[in-house]
Amino acid sequence: MLILCEKDLHSQPSRLAEAWAGADTFVLLPDKLSVTDEWLAQNLSLIPHSLHRDHFIMLTSGTTGQPKLIVGNRERSKKLVRVLHDLQDSEPVQETIAMLPLSYTYSFVNQWLWSQVLKRRFVTTQGLSNPKSLKETLEKARDAMICLVGVQVPLLMNLLDGNVFQGVIRLHFAGGRFPQEKLEELRGMFPNAQVFNNYGCAEAMPRLTIRRAEDAGEAANIGRPLPGIEMRSDDQHAILFRSPYGAVGVVEDAQFMPITPDDWTASGDLGEMDDHGSWCLLGRASEVFKRHGEKVSLSSLATTVSGAWSGQCAFYREADRTGEDGCVLALAPEATSESVKPVLMALRKHHPRAHWPLRIETVATLPLLSNGKTDIRSLSSLPNKTALWQQHI
Amino acid sequence: MTNKEKLQNLIQDVFLLTPEEFRFDLKRIEIETWDSFGVVSLSVGVQQTFGYHFKPEEATAIQGVDDIIKLLTSKGITFE
Repeated sequence: MLILCEKDLHSQPSRLAEAWAGADTFVLLPDKLSVTDEWLAQNLSLIPHSLHRDHFIMLTSGTTGQPKLIVGNRERSKKLVRVLHDLQDSEPVQETIAMLPLSYTYSFVNQWLWSQVLKRRFVTTQGLSNPKSLKETLEKARDAMICLVGVQVPLLMNLLDGNVFQGVIRLHFAGGRFPQEKLEELRGMFPNAQVFNNYGCAEAMPRLTIRRAEDAGEAANIGRPLPGIEMRSDDQHAILFRSPYGAVGVVEDAQFMPITPDDWTASGDLGEMDDHGSWCLLGRASEVFKRHGEKVSLSSLATTVSGAWSGQCAFYREADRTGEDGCVLALAPEATSESVKPVLMALRKHHPRAHWPLRIETVATLPLLSNGKTDIRSLSSLPNKTALWQQHI
Repeated sequence: MTNKEKLQNLIQDVFLLTPEEFRFDLKRIEIETWDSFGVVSLSVGVQQTFGYHFKPEEATAIQGVDDIIKLLTSKGITFE
């Protein structure tokens, strides 16, 4: 099986197009590998021979940090690209500027594959790690689409504040909380862009729903399922889906699990459908827990904190000294006792005490996974975190 | 830091009050966050800050900041 590493594609970008055009299934790995060569070899060997042609494989760790291989079908993904092209009104778009790693299914399908199928220009960048070069690229953009994750917005605003990029006409978000409260600032920076909230997961390869930013006022609203996709939630509110574009199998916990057309797959989030057919996220399945009998949603807390803190925020779980489940809020960049006060007041206003974090800590930067999401595992074990406030428990 | 200042900081931390909202004659009924878990948190905070652990009946009887001062004063902790 052909294995492509993202770092090799920087110097030889044509290799990916060649692999896609070839018959053999290939694997696309991120720059920073979270698994050993042995893990990879063992897990790739579990993929059935029937999938060794016409497919592609991505490695994902998600927010839980548990690595898994996702097997996508090329024809299915090409169909999804055409569906997205129509729904996202992408016909006027002439180029897409990559600001996320290609090994992220969102960037791979929404941008790279879209550019291949629709014959549009694919522009690589080093993302926010090289703001000067990114600024120049965005200034030169003409009828461009960019795809971001919400956690990039405070960094974008910090690094490129005051700049206006007229040439970006589509702005997509996925892979985390939609930055609804930053829309005005985003529209100042990208005045000609239509903004979309995309939702999905790696198993969906990767899209499930979409909505235009202006179609709802809440970040948690992820819009309606794409045509052909069925969604429902179980009695615990876990979102389940069946998609004609989704992955055909997953290697996880040392076993291959096929995904058949009849299978309902969990997206990993909790949610519910409203009366208009739009879905609202209640949080990650791993981000909702009970404390003192109260259901605590980290997603809901993040919404509250974002209204009072202009930087980044993340939560990690921790039990208090009595063994009761709780969470710790981390703020970045460095907060002070003074700047944390509006956050505390917002928590008091919107949440009962059981929802309040055990502590509020500050770090210079949040550790990130290669896909741009916060590395919760690293965050919880990060040294040199400063506690600005804590509950007396 | 004086004991008065320590107590003010503690009350503000436990009940998420601003300095402007804090008064030494503040009553429990005026603080919406002074709920049952707030009582526990206050009790733990007082122990951590002043080294005195409220008895259950004492914690229940406290109806305002001045009651905390009276109680701790009776245990030899001064607030002048």
